[in-house]
Amino acid sequence: MIRLVEVRKIFNAGRPNAHAALDGVTLTIRRSAVTVLKGPSGSGKTTLLSLIGCMARPTSGRIHLHGLDTDWLAPGEESLEITSLPERFLTGIRRRAFGFVFQQFHLVRGLSALDNVMLPALPTGASRAAIAARGMALLERFRVAGRAGNLVEHLSGGEAQRVAIARALINDPAVIIADEPTAHLDSRLSAEFMEIIATLRSEGRTVVIASHDPLVYAAPGVDAVVVVRDGRIGESGSGRTP
Amino acid sequence: MILEPGILALILLSLITSGTILYALRHIVPILYAWDLKSGSEGQLQLERRTYLLSTLLTWAFVAELTSLLLLVYTAENLHERFTGAMCAAGVFNLNAFGYPALLLKLGNFLLAGCWLVLNRADNSARDYPLIRGKYLFLLVLTVPLLAEGVVLGLYLLNLQPDVITSCCGSLFGSRAVGLGSELAVWPMRPLGLVLLLAYVLNLGSGSFVLRKGRGSYLFALSGLLVLFLGISAILSFVAPYFYELPSHHCPFCLLKADYGYVGYLLCGGLLVGATAAAAVGVLQPFATRPSLRQIIPALQRRAVWLGLTLFTLCFLVATLRIITTDFTLFG
Repeated sequence: MIRLVEVRKIFNAGRPNAHAALDGVTLTIRRSAVTVLKGPSGSGKTTLLSLIGCMARPTSGRIHLHGLDTDWLAPGEESLEITSLPERFLTGIRRRAFGFVFQQFHLVRGLSALDNVMLPALPTGASRAAIAARGMALLERFRVAGRAGNLVEHLSGGEAQRVAIARALINDPAVIIADEPTAHLDSRLSAEFMEIIATLRSEGRTVVIASHDPLVYAAPGVDAVVVVRDGRIGESGSGRTP
Repeated sequence: MILEPGILALILLSLITSGTILYALRHIVPILYAWDLKSGSEGQLQLERRTYLLSTLLTWAFVAELTSLLLLVYTAENLHERFTGAMCAAGVFNLNAFGYPALLLKLGNFLLAGCWLVLNRADNSARDYPLIRGKYLFLLVLTVPLLAEGVVLGLYLLNLQPDVITSCCGSLFGSRAVGLGSELAVWPMRPLGLVLLLAYVLNLGSGSFVLRKGRGSYLFALSGLLVLFLGISAILSFVAPYFYELPSHHCPFCLLKADYGYVGYLLCGGLLVGATAAAAVGVLQPFATRPSLRQIIPALQRRAVWLGLTLFTLCFLVATLRIITTDFTLFG
């Protein structure tokens, strides 16, 4: 479970162009569920995702991670408050607790699909052979193993998307964060993406997606839809989980 | 003032250290008063971010403080040829009234700053800032001797006059001289050696106990400080004469010369760093039961114990080897 308490994020604080991207967000994201943050562009969805994923810090408020089954929690420790943590701790948490799928996928051009998948695991100290084996297994799972050696700029949109998902899973994270993952995909690939998300949920992973695509927030397997507007949480509802 | 690279570097380092501490003072008062980790207020989050910066700046300022002791001694040794009467650093420190007070303040601050760095390391290793108030309160206490050192060192370096005739180490550490150094130099060899050996054995025993059982930290810290004091006394009393093979020459600074293989840096540096590591073991002990530090502090203490024991043993071996292997003897 991820719990946000009175989270505010103000860009350019104290300046004339100060902008409150998030204003007093209190929200609970259920564990092992798919939650979609729905809202128009500029509503604060991406800012919210970046705070949850430890990529940015709030101006005020706290974010707690509860009951995540990861080995970076000390024995007996049930939850972790992430906003007070210095960067040296956040790096490890970001790397091992979260997997990220970005809007533009952000695959590194000039590297092969397998190398891209392996990248987030390289700083963990695991052997390169073990990481490569894990990477190949993920590429096989998402049916792109045949393209493992190809440079990512030569992949199709669907292949790039699946490589990006494989990369997000390489460190076996408890939480998957996806920012507008279907923005550059057609309907078939978007549906395929949501099927993959449903399987991740069935594995017990928590998935948080920011999207204003109806193919995402109305998809089966979505447990909760949270409306974000003008940096505040609007009405929330259940998804169409069967 | 003499325009010498070493002197300019020392003044610059002193200004940086003092400036960093004064900058930190401005910010640690709000941390001490308003810190509340349970609060998610904007002010609290700003304090948390500020402490990352302060901790980093102070770490480097204190690393500069530790290394500047070496630079001070090296510079003083290097300058002795410029002053009439000075045969080594002893005479250079005696050039004005601020030399030896500056050196003593630097030695004391080395110990204190070393302990602060270890405390800061422990705090930074835990996620919940368990020592945030303790380490900044300690810093407040440290401010006085550190700023005093900056002033006294500045007065010493800025008042070095090339035309002053100073005393040589033979007269400063001789039996007829007045002062702490000369008094330590005439301590009788056998009782002092025996007490030093006992202190070392106590340190070794308590250190082994800390390593095996995790207890005895305070005894290890106290015996480490005792080894430092008695070790320096022993250098003045009988170790230095064995290196010089001269019964009347007790100067610890001549051991810094190439003629004696720079062994003074090893002996005095080893004792000082070893004692700092030992003191840090004791400084950490009151916080060992805090939940987030239960694994961090014992690990840090074990490393400090190993460092202290290794350095003390090295100093003992080097001094004993010299006493055993030289033809010279003070045992009549």
